[in-house]
Amino acid sequence: MATLITELDDRMEQMRRSFAVVHPLDDVPEEKVDTEHLGHMRMTRTVKICLFALRGYLLLMVGMLGFRVLQLAGVIHG
Amino acid sequence: MSMNLLLREESQSPAASIRVSSKWAAQALTFLMVFGPGLIVMEADNDAGAVSTYVQAGAQYGTHLLWLLLLLLPVSYFVQEMVVRLGIVTGQGHAAMIYRRFGKWWGRFSLFDLLLVNFLTLVTEFAAIALALDRMGVDPVIGVPVAAVALVALVITGSYRRWERIVIFLCLLDLLWFAVALRVHPPAVGELVRRTLVPSMPLGGLTAGWLFLVIATVGTTIAPWQLFFQQSCVADKRLRFADLKWARLDTFVGAVFTILVAGCMMLAGNAALVRHFDFTDPAKMAVQLGAVLGPFTKHAILLLMINAAVLGTTTISLASAWAYGEVQGWPSSLQKPVREAPAFYAVYGLCVMAAAGLVLIPRAPLQLIILSVQVLAGLVLPSAIIFLQLLLNDKEVLGDQFANKPWNNLVNWTIIILLFVLSLLLAAQVAVPQLFPNA
Repeated sequence: MATLITELDDRMEQMRRSFAVVHPLDDVPEEKVDTEHLGHMRMTRTVKICLFALRGYLLLMVGMLGFRVLQLAGVIHG
Repeated sequence: MSMNLLLREESQSPAASIRVSSKWAAQALTFLMVFGPGLIVMEADNDAGAVSTYVQAGAQYGTHLLWLLLLLLPVSYFVQEMVVRLGIVTGQGHAAMIYRRFGKWWGRFSLFDLLLVNFLTLVTEFAAIALALDRMGVDPVIGVPVAAVALVALVITGSYRRWERIVIFLCLLDLLWFAVALRVHPPAVGELVRRTLVPSMPLGGLTAGWLFLVIATVGTTIAPWQLFFQQSCVADKRLRFADLKWARLDTFVGAVFTILVAGCMMLAGNAALVRHFDFTDPAKMAVQLGAVLGPFTKHAILLLMINAAVLGTTTISLASAWAYGEVQGWPSSLQKPVREAPAFYAVYGLCVMAAAGLVLIPRAPLQLIILSVQVLAGLVLPSAIIFLQLLLNDKEVLGDQFANKPWNNLVNWTIIILLFVLSLLLAAQVAVPQLFPNA
């Protein structure tokens, strides 16, 4: 019995000194930031400017594509 | 209670863990466990279109564009590092975040663009598979459906780890590009180092053709699907806050490996240039080089083309399936068996099968599809990257600890402005070619 307890103590000490590595998929799921109830992003000046610039860029691209389509269709020449 | 049972209980709680005796070993093992998404997203970006672009760059301008690859290394790392942070902190994919923080209109716009450009890109991946198989003497009518079925089988095992291990193996197969680069007798090391570190112009000087190959190389190295893919992949792998530094290292290793492989592709193209081969596509170049350097070179390049397309297909299809599933609120995880996430796997399967089917249609408008990919990428990348930058400054979500620091913003805004200008130029060249008469 004494031998068993000594062996147990040794093993416990060994475990205390060792490092446990867990694969993320085997680990207990971590609590993440709750984004579901945050709602939309605050419209700060930077956000507004960025979205405005993005809209402008997209309109320009769509305009270019439209021009090309009309050109291929023979509506616009040159 | 027996001692063995007691020890087993101790070692198994709270989760299955591996015990190692040194801190160094624990860190190395943690890195290996976290390793994957970064390498995969970077290397899969060396897809069929990238092989074509890099090889063409080498075949037209020799080693004169190697410096550009070095420049793109930090760019691709900084962009992807942002999605790693966002994925780890929120546990959500990029599409879901755009929906939640910018509303339905921008959410639907981003998702629709992503799905469309991804699908068209998938068609080009299968077109490359068909082309390479044809040059190897395999009938594409048999080879393409076999590849498509294998690509679906790869994901439906209900194990993220199994998928990841197989895909990492496929990424490492790209090491064969180094053997190809050595085989084609590249220029001396000193010259390669000089061309990599010092930007240089080709003999013809700055031409519109050169400029657009530069733009195409940038566009190839940073693709919109990568943002969506890596964030969803990080979320699916359930990476923890403590894994962030290892995920960053994984992304950096992936970026370095990818840029080195891209350099090898340029050297293979350079071999065609010095032998005065008429370059039309990488498969034809493989046959031409094979006639001079032996069958190894030919078969290696053709197999690597197929490997690139397979890697591109599985990651791009997953980017679509994850994004669509997240937005719809469906269970979307490679960890789930098909019966628990049927819609997620259906989207993946549909993307793969439809793209493969389209390639097999005789006289399918492949050239039009390739041009559409370029134009659409010009629409999707700048918008996706703007949302990314805004999300990374969203302190309500990321807090002060994980939000961008001022130096992050300086680097990222520089990259964004550069990408906007280049995307606009590339799309303009495709949509309104008469603006660039010499391109």
